Amino acid sequence: MGLVVVGLGWAQSGPKNPFANDPRAAADGRPTFRLFCSPCHGIKAEGGRGPDLTRGVYSAGDSDADLFNVIANGATGTEMPEFMSRLGDENIWRLIAYIRSVTKRDSTPVTGDRQAGDKLFWAKGQCGSCHMVGTKGGRMGPELTRIGRTRSAAYLRESIVDINADLTPGFFTITAVTKDGKKIVGVQRGFDNFSAQFMDVGEKFYSFQKSDVTSMKREFRSLMPDNYRKMFSDAELNDLVAYLASLRGPEEKR
Amino acid sequence: MKRWGMLLVAAMALGAADDDAGTWLTYGKNHLGWRFSENRQINTTNVSQLTPQWVFQTGVPGKFQATPLVFDRMMFVTAPENHAYGLDLATGRQVWHYYKPMPRETSVCCGRVNRGFAVKGQTLFKVNLEARLLAMDAKTGTVLWETEVEEIKKGYSLTVAPLVVKDMVLIGVAGAEFGVRGFIDAYDINTGKRRWRFWTVAGPEDPGIKTWGGDSWKRGGGSTWITGTYDPELNLVYWGTGNPGPDMNGDVRPGDNLYTCSIVALDVDTGKLKWHYQMTPHDVHDWDAIADPVLIDTVVKGQKVKAVVQANRNGFYYVLDRASGKLLFAKPYTKVTWADGVSPDGRPILVRDQDPTEEGTKSCPGIGGGHNWQATAYNPLTNMYYFTSTEGCHIFYKTDQEFREGQWYQASTTAPIPTEPTTGAIFAVVPGTGEIKWKWEMVTPPTSGMLTTAGGLVFGGDREGYVFALDARSGKPLWKFQTGGTVIAPPITYMLDGRQYVAVAAGSSMMTFALPRTPAAAK
Repeated sequence: MGLVVVGLGWAQSGPKNPFANDPRAAADGRPTFRLFCSPCHGIKAEGGRGPDLTRGVYSAGDSDADLFNVIANGATGTEMPEFMSRLGDENIWRLIAYIRSVTKRDSTPVTGDRQAGDKLFWAKGQCGSCHMVGTKGGRMGPELTRIGRTRSAAYLRESIVDINADLTPGFFTITAVTKDGKKIVGVQRGFDNFSAQFMDVGEKFYSFQKSDVTSMKREFRSLMPDNYRKMFSDAELNDLVAYLASLRGPEEKR
Repeated sequence: MKRWGMLLVAAMALGAADDDAGTWLTYGKNHLGWRFSENRQINTTNVSQLTPQWVFQTGVPGKFQATPLVFDRMMFVTAPENHAYGLDLATGRQVWHYYKPMPRETSVCCGRVNRGFAVKGQTLFKVNLEARLLAMDAKTGTVLWETEVEEIKKGYSLTVAPLVVKDMVLIGVAGAEFGVRGFIDAYDINTGKRRWRFWTVAGPEDPGIKTWGGDSWKRGGGSTWITGTYDPELNLVYWGTGNPGPDMNGDVRPGDNLYTCSIVALDVDTGKLKWHYQMTPHDVHDWDAIADPVLIDTVVKGQKVKAVVQANRNGFYYVLDRASGKLLFAKPYTKVTWADGVSPDGRPILVRDQDPTEEGTKSCPGIGGGHNWQATAYNPLTNMYYFTSTEGCHIFYKTDQEFREGQWYQASTTAPIPTEPTTGAIFAVVPGTGEIKWKWEMVTPPTSGMLTTAGGLVFGGDREGYVFALDARSGKPLWKFQTGGTVIAPPITYMLDGRQYVAVAAGSSMMTFALPRTPAAAK
């Protein structure tokens, strides 16, 4: 809960959006968003290469001042560049007005029990055999330590029941057949015109030159089991989503 | 066969004026834009033995896009952020370094890049991002003169490799994403004074202004950011022009928008328009026609023709009569959904509902095309033309946007299709027929330009950092080396002290390769 306190502190100390009560500002911010932000954050601001911006939660802080700071100056250590030189402060405030206007704040409230979900994740679902949370878990799938900050509950639910709907780039499936006829299937770590690097379910790392194997193929599908819809009851799914949505990573000092 | 042989000899003689085994003197290797080297010490039988010789690292952020020049035992190469270098060809050690910080207010759409030098005698010519053209001494890097081409506050910037023709240096501009009005300029090589300017967006002095609704011509785009080619016999220079502005929203610029998305043929001495051919009238998909306009004497439907060919971003391969500008044929080389073909009158046969919308429209090729700006290569020995292509589609969106001088002005955007990632390919096409002889598939969209040699090879590189050699006749990969940096610039080749070298820029490194120094390797 410490995070919320920190967030509020920032919201109270930083500058406020001068257009906060101007209904035209969000409309003016829309074309700016489509031109400058949509290439990474998606045409509907629901994310893509960059995070989903419709959740109302942002990794660099949730206040208007936090958003202004990230848009104006960029986010260190990420691909987010600065936009102050191109947009100027008034356009950035209009952009923030637009982002606020499309924020959904999770229309489907998280109703599950996060502690029950925690148990399902590590026991019945065996999710931890492929996903890492903190320092615990497997290495095959995407790390989930902060997934509750970057993905909506609805998105998390979809990721469990419809595994290929929006596969995380770089987690495609590689199948190699060696010259002695052995078939090896794994999750992509690298793939180029001449070679592939991948990891199998035993977390064994492979690297093959395409010229050294009988066949090598990449498929845009996930190796994650696709039977969770059947395995879990509706209530259990809600619990699991509640657990994932609660994963917000260690508190970082700003 | 005999006729082919004759044609070949004639074609090679035409290119021979600036063709010397030990040099690389202009962007396209010869003024026809072939990127073909007669060096054959490295060939299909021994290319697998190629080994690195030296690596030069700029230490500057950003990746090389430049075609290096080579002469007098030195290599000359421009780098991002207004850096340039003179290197010792034998060791890769720096002889001189030029740098000029870019003014903060410079508008650059697509990276702070530069595509290389031009040379006349001992004078190098390069552009700087802040819309300046300069002449430099090749031995020292000393600036001899510097000319302001345009005002940066209007959104102009420069990235092109200049082209020297006679006593002039020709350049094109960038800035169509900032509402500029494009042009091609010629400057006196000795003084830097402008000789002529050709506006690629027709204005009041040009009847073509009728193809621009209202005053949209004033910010009509039509950038000219890739180097043109030159036919000394016809005394014409050929240059490709970019998209109209705003890119994928044609609402504010009704009409064909001449001379955007076209090849223009200009009288070299006056800059007057001899002819134009517009590949994409009223473009709404950002299909610049800036790709190399390569000059090839070939046979089309049984007729010998002096042709100019182009693999256009819009997905079609075009062959034009380069004396008249008449379309000989156009043929798709990749998946095309926006047009059903090109009619004999030269206009594309449009498919309905392919224009960008508020909600988004899926079109193929995607943003950036098919073949974009990456340098192409023509090998007269295989009679194949080599170029890269991005294979796939994108969603095109338009949106309202008000124009403000010097500000990003696109009024549109695009998005990838998550379930259909784009991939890449290298094509080998017969220039006179458009027949695809081979296609080498790539896992991601291509990044680098091409080089072809009399050794029966095609050299290129990829996004993942490989530089590679393919068999020019079959497309079969024969050699590769992982450089650790995306290869964007096209490789070049030259002889030094009896050995053939291949130089390729990867990331921010310049690398050279040669065969091992063993008696068996030398031919």
